[in-house]
Order: sequence, then C-alpha cells, then structure tokens
Amino acid sequence: MAKVLFEWDYSDYPGAKKYPHLFTPIQLGNLHVPNRIKYAATEENLNGRDGFITDSGVAYMRERAKGVVGGLCFMQGVYMDEARKGQGYVGQAAAWDDKFIPGLKRIADAIHEQRAIAGFQLMDCGRVGAVEVESGHGPSTVPQRLRIFKPMYEMTNAEVKEMIQQHVDAAKRGIEAGFDAMEISGIVGYLISNFISSYTNRRTDEYGGDIRGRMQAVVEVIQGVKEVCGPDIPVGIRLCSEELLDDVRGNTPEESMQSYKIAEEAGVDYISCTLGWQESIYPVISRDIPMGNWVHLAKRAKEHVNVPIQMAYRLFKPDLPNEKIGAGELDFWEMCRPMIADPLMPKKVLEGKEDEIRHCVACNLCLARLFRDAPMTCYINPICAHEANSEFTDPPPAEEEKEIMIVGAGPAGLECAYMAAQRGHEVHVYDKRDGIGGTLNEAKNAPYGDDELWTCVEYQKVMCEKAGVEFHLGTEVTDELIEEELPDSIVLATGPVYPKLDVSSGDSDKIVTLLDVMNGNVDVGENVVVWGNRKPGIGCALHLAKQGKKVTLVGKDKTAGFDVNPSFKWRYMIYMRQNGIVVYNDCDIVDVTDDGIVVKTYDGYQWPIQCDTIVLSQREPNESLKKVVQSEGIELFVIGDALIPRNLSSAVHDGYRIGMRI
Amino acid sequence: MPVDAEKEITKLWKAMHNAQAEIGKTYYRWRQVAIEFAGDDVKPLDVALRAAEVFGKDIGKSFLPRMNWLKGEEGFMLILAKALAGLWLNDGGLATVEKGENPGEIIIKCTRDPWPTWAKEFGVPMEEVALCRERMYQSILEDVSAFMNISLAIELQKAIPRGQGETIMRLYRTE
Repeated sequence: MAKVLFEWDYSDYPGAKKYPHLFTPIQLGNLHVPNRIKYAATEENLNGRDGFITDSGVAYMRERAKGVVGGLCFMQGVYMDEARKGQGYVGQAAAWDDKFIPGLKRIADAIHEQRAIAGFQLMDCGRVGAVEVESGHGPSTVPQRLRIFKPMYEMTNAEVKEMIQQHVDAAKRGIEAGFDAMEISGIVGYLISNFISSYTNRRTDEYGGDIRGRMQAVVEVIQGVKEVCGPDIPVGIRLCSEELLDDVRGNTPEESMQSYKIAEEAGVDYISCTLGWQESIYPVISRDIPMGNWVHLAKRAKEHVNVPIQMAYRLFKPDLPNEKIGAGELDFWEMCRPMIADPLMPKKVLEGKEDEIRHCVACNLCLARLFRDAPMTCYINPICAHEANSEFTDPPPAEEEKEIMIVGAGPAGLECAYMAAQRGHEVHVYDKRDGIGGTLNEAKNAPYGDDELWTCVEYQKVMCEKAGVEFHLGTEVTDELIEEELPDSIVLATGPVYPKLDVSSGDSDKIVTLLDVMNGNVDVGENVVVWGNRKPGIGCALHLAKQGKKVTLVGKDKTAGFDVNPSFKWRYMIYMRQNGIVVYNDCDIVDVTDDGIVVKTYDGYQWPIQCDTIVLSQREPNESLKKVVQSEGIELFVIGDALIPRNLSSAVHDGYRIGMRI
Repeated sequence: MPVDAEKEITKLWKAMHNAQAEIGKTYYRWRQVAIEFAGDDVKPLDVALRAAEVFGKDIGKSFLPRMNWLKGEEGFMLILAKALAGLWLNDGGLATVEKGENPGEIIIKCTRDPWPTWAKEFGVPMEEVALCRERMYQSILEDVSAFMNISLAIELQKAIPRGQGETIMRLYRTE
C-alpha cells in the first residue's frame, strides 16, 4: 500500500480539467504523489555562509511549496563535508553535522505546512565546488576550463569511500529533519557527474574505467542512501542524459543512457533527466533555445529505463509537459526558473489563472548572481529573495488614498500602476501610444527569443485590469493636462530619449531611430551603422543582420552588452560574430558624411565607415514634464528608463518598489 | 571632417609597435629585479626559466576554453599549434604552422622574432631567449595535456641567434 502524506482532490479545479495529466497522481517508490509537479532543488545563496538555514531561506521555500499544490518541493542541495570542498555556493545549506538538523527541519516543516512533499537533495559540487576554500576534489585531477572555478585534486580511494559515507550520513540527517523524498545530484559538473564522465574520471581503481566502473561510486551512494531511506522514502537521482562535452571527449549519449540503466539497477525510484555542464560550449537553457527543445531526451530516457522520468529545461508552460505526460514520454514536470519568476506558477495553472503568471524570460540573471556569490534575484520578479519581508510580499494598504497619474504604459509604469492600485490608490495610466508596452513593443522584435519578453507586459496588463487601473491610451501628457488634472502624485515612466548625434550633420536624413527600425517604419539601407552598444543596439543589430544587412555596431561602452548579464552576454557575442556584425567599442561618432560616418576611438584614432543608414540606439534619461510637475508642487517619482536607461528588469523593479512606497 | 587615412594608419602602426616593444622591455626590467632578489647564488638562466614556467602555466589556463576535439586529433593539434604561434605574433613576430612528416606532428616556424633584439638591449644571452621560449611552451602544454588526457610535447629544433633565419619547434604526441 502506497504511503500517502497529504490527500489532494483537484477534480473541481479548471486547471485539472484543462491539463488532466499534470494533476494525475503517481507513485515514486512507495510514496504517493498527488500530481506531476516538482519544484526542483535550486541554489539561492540565501542561507548563512556557515551553512545554517536562515529565515530568508525558509520563506523562499514556503512560497515554492505553496506553488506545487501538493507535489514535490525540493530544497536546495546540501553539501556534506566539513572541509567544504563540496560547497559550490556561498549560501549553500550544509548537512555535514547533526547541528544543521534543526534548520533543515524548519524547511521541511514549511513545505509540510503547505501540504506538499518535502524533498532533500544531496549535492557535493565537486569540480565546481570549493567556493570558500582553496581547492576542490574530484575523481581525477583535471585542470579547470573556466577560471572562476578553483583548482581541484584527485581523491584517494579512501576519500571516495568517505564521500560515499558522507552522502549516507547526510541522508540520515535529512530524514531526521522530516523530509519525505531523497535526491542525489549528479548534474552540470557536480561531483557525482565528475565520476560518471570520461572527461573528468581517469581513475584506474574500482571507481574508474568504463562506464560501469565510473558509475561504481554512484551505485554505492545510491545503495547506501536507499538503505537508510527504507521503503517509504523514494530515492531519485538527477543525471545528465547528454553531457554536451564532446569537444573535450566526455561521455557519449549512449554512455549516458547506460548510466541511467545502472542507476535504475542500483535501486533509484526515479531519474531527473538533465543535460549539459557548466563547461559545455553549447547553450541549453537561455532564451535563444526554443521551448521544449530538449523534451525528446525525456522520451529517450523512458525508452531505456522503467522508473519515472522528470525533466525541466525550457518547459515553461503547462501545455507541453501535459501533452508529453499524456503520451507517456515524460512523468514529471520539473521547474526551477519558472518558479523563481513566479513561485505560485503551477497553483495558478490549477486554479485557471494562467493569465496571472509572471513568466520567466530565461535571462539567467539568477545563475549569474549565484556564480558571483550574490543572493538570488530574479530579472522579472521583484519579490524573489524578499519572501521573508512582508513589505514586499504583502505591501500594506496606502495610509492615504491618492489619485496617481502614471505617464507611460511601459513595463515600469504598468508594474507601478497595479501595485499602487492594489494598495488602494486611484491610478490612471497615460500613454501617447495607442497600446501598452512602451519600448518593449520594439524590443520584442529582436531575434533569439526576445519575443518572450512580452510575457511581462501581458502579465502586468492583467494585474492592472484586476486592480482597477484606468488607462488613457493615445493621450499624450502635456503641461496643460497636468495642470488640468492636478493629481496627488505623478510617476514619470516615459521611457528614454534617443538624442541626436552631436555632429554638424546630425540632422542627416540617413539617421533614423531604433524604434522606427524595429517597427519597420523606415527603409534601411544595405550598410547600416547602429549607434549604441548596449542591449537595444545589439538587438537592433541582430534584427538587421538577420535581414541580410551589413551591420556595424559602434558604441561608447568599453564592451558591447555592458548591460546584459554574463550568463546571457556570451550568447550575444557569438551571435554577433555568426551574423558578421563588426563591433567598435569605446568609440564615438564624430562626423556624418555623404558616404557614412567617421568613428573616433577613445584615444583619438579616426576612420571612416561607409553606410547608408545610421540607427540611433544610444539612450538618455527623459527630463520632459519634470519641471511642470515640480512647479505645481505635485509629488513626483521618475522610474525605469526615464530615470536612467537600463533594462527591462530595472523597469520592473523600479515600478514595483515605487508602487509599494507611494 | 575628412579622415587622413595614411596619417591614421601610421599613428596606429607606431602605437602598436611601441606597445610591443614595451612588452619586451617590461619583461627584461622585471627579469633584472628578479635576478637581484634571487642573489648571487642563483644563475640568471634559472630565474628566467622559472619565469617562463610561470608564464606558461598561466597562458596554458587561458588556452583551455578554446581546446576542442570535435575535429579529431589532427584538427586539435593544428588549433593548438596556431594558438602557440599566435603568442609570437602578438609580440610582433612572424610565425606559421604546418603539418609535420609524422601523424599528429606539427611544425611551428618563426621567421621574425623581436625577443632577441630586446634581449640584446639588456645584455641577456641569446640562448636564454630560445630556451625560455621552449620552456614556456612546455609549461603551456602541461595543463593542456592534463585537460585533454593526452601527452603532448614540444621541442626546439633550430634556433638562430639574434632572431634572423628560422626558429623551428616541433609539437607532437608522446604516446
């Protein structure tokens, strides 16, 4: 008889009718799981640098536990060695001693409060660990490909056995803390994956050799953990279905599937299907990878093993996992980033509130932060990592209800609008355009997945409508309108301005703006110079290059994409090379001639560039309307690109924070 | 504002050569400091060779992100040899790579090398230049070999004092 932790009946929920396969129960080992939803273990750097759980970490998990509506909710992977070689993140939770059990219990309890299944993950970060010490450990001494990782040294045979025991001991602590499911992390370059890969395991003892030898340590970990977990606590493992390390002679896909079979033979109750390492030269999860791109790997895994298969990796919306589960090609819909962006995402799916989901835009800012020892944050979700702060999660009603005029219906203005309206203000949003979205209308036309950015506006629109925000679209706010309306507060979210070139022929008819180009409102010649080397300029350059134009990007910043986080920037650099875009950084345009422009480097060198069209993407703060607002004595806030041109994330975060305060 | 192309190119060319010359001079200034600190009991050549090892180790790490076996052994060896030759090019030399007579063997030829000229300015023996180049390349290959799990070697086959003629190095697998 299966062990049932919590009874859930989804039959009356619209989401369960629309996506029946997502809300069908399944058994993992002997454990009954009410649905096919899993929040996958995700580091967030919210815990103490000593490995102890903090209030922030507990609050973060509580929100995700609410979201899985009875499904699996895994806390971040814990490191298990006192020497901290296995610690890969400064805020990673520890489980190398019983003293950590009370903190871990707080997490398990928080998950149980939401009637969800609490999962515990064992994660020695191996090759990408040792974040707080001088060197890491691994099956063999293989130099690091990426300099951000510490040197690592080969474990002795005795150290391998000790590591196996550490997994078993940590599993016992997880059980004592109250967790219901156990998972071993063997992905992306962590220690277990180091043992499995031919790239990093060159041992000649019983823990090396062919794939069966390289799996021996994993088998012993699985068997040891299974023994302490007993029949009622399922043990799963996250394993690479493809390492994407063929350039350094990593495992073949066939070897990876063998590793699945060996793990199954060793007794795992499920496998989470992953792919790629941090050292892989291929993109896996960024926005340029189409949704559902990897789900065929789950199907292949199911063809090789009989245990349930779980998978995340660009499955951001419920329709595809529902379809694949129904077709028998997948068993569980895992999520990390979609539930960072919106912790209640699956709950909203269940309740038929899909239009209220704040979708992840796959920017990987969350990863970039973790790798730089910073607490988790989300590009699109201003509440992320502030779950313990009720001012963020549940802003108090306004002390005094105000009439607020928000100028600009872009992401900054919309975010501010619904938040202020939810707090009891009367909010009016004005925009001279006939529609909402501001400059995101143009930004979404850039290639490599930027259309996904529009999901932000769709979410904000729904939230504004529910909060009773009044829209005045197609209405340009003028000094006279402000004097006429005299609101209590004005929020200027007008977006940036695109200044003219400061040259004698700055009015040349070959000069156009980014917005006109991205909208297709102007004819663009075959040779184009895009002025401004931040994200808008890069997006525009790629947009034009995709049309077959010869594009040169010129900008003042020392490197192109200064405003793009490093976890995504490398993709843009590759795409610009692939599309033949020539980039001149740290430069200015000093003249516009009949043939093109003259570029001048920071140290004075000059050369001409022939072009037919010059696109202005360089932005400046928007100072308009400020004077009249101030002269009328109206409370004034300036947010988003109107304050300082930055990115979508800054617009959303600015809007939310001012909406909380106003 | 017309651009005087000849003037701009000349300025750039001079600036590049000045920067390249500074590379050599800076190295030899530091060499002098290191030798003074090492004391009279240490041979200058040993100091220089140790520096070459340290340089090579660090440069080797920077090679690793670009190491790629997708084109097989021959492709890999060519990419590696070009990266090694590129170090000479950056300093203002002229270096080329070509396949050797044996499988997996690559020959790197340098026909113009600014290092002997810089060494002469500082009174450094010419043989030190060649030996340091060889030691630096050998050190680069240590991490590359460990990373790709193959045993690579490089040897100086011919070195011409004062940089004229050809310097020839042979890159090969030892197994």
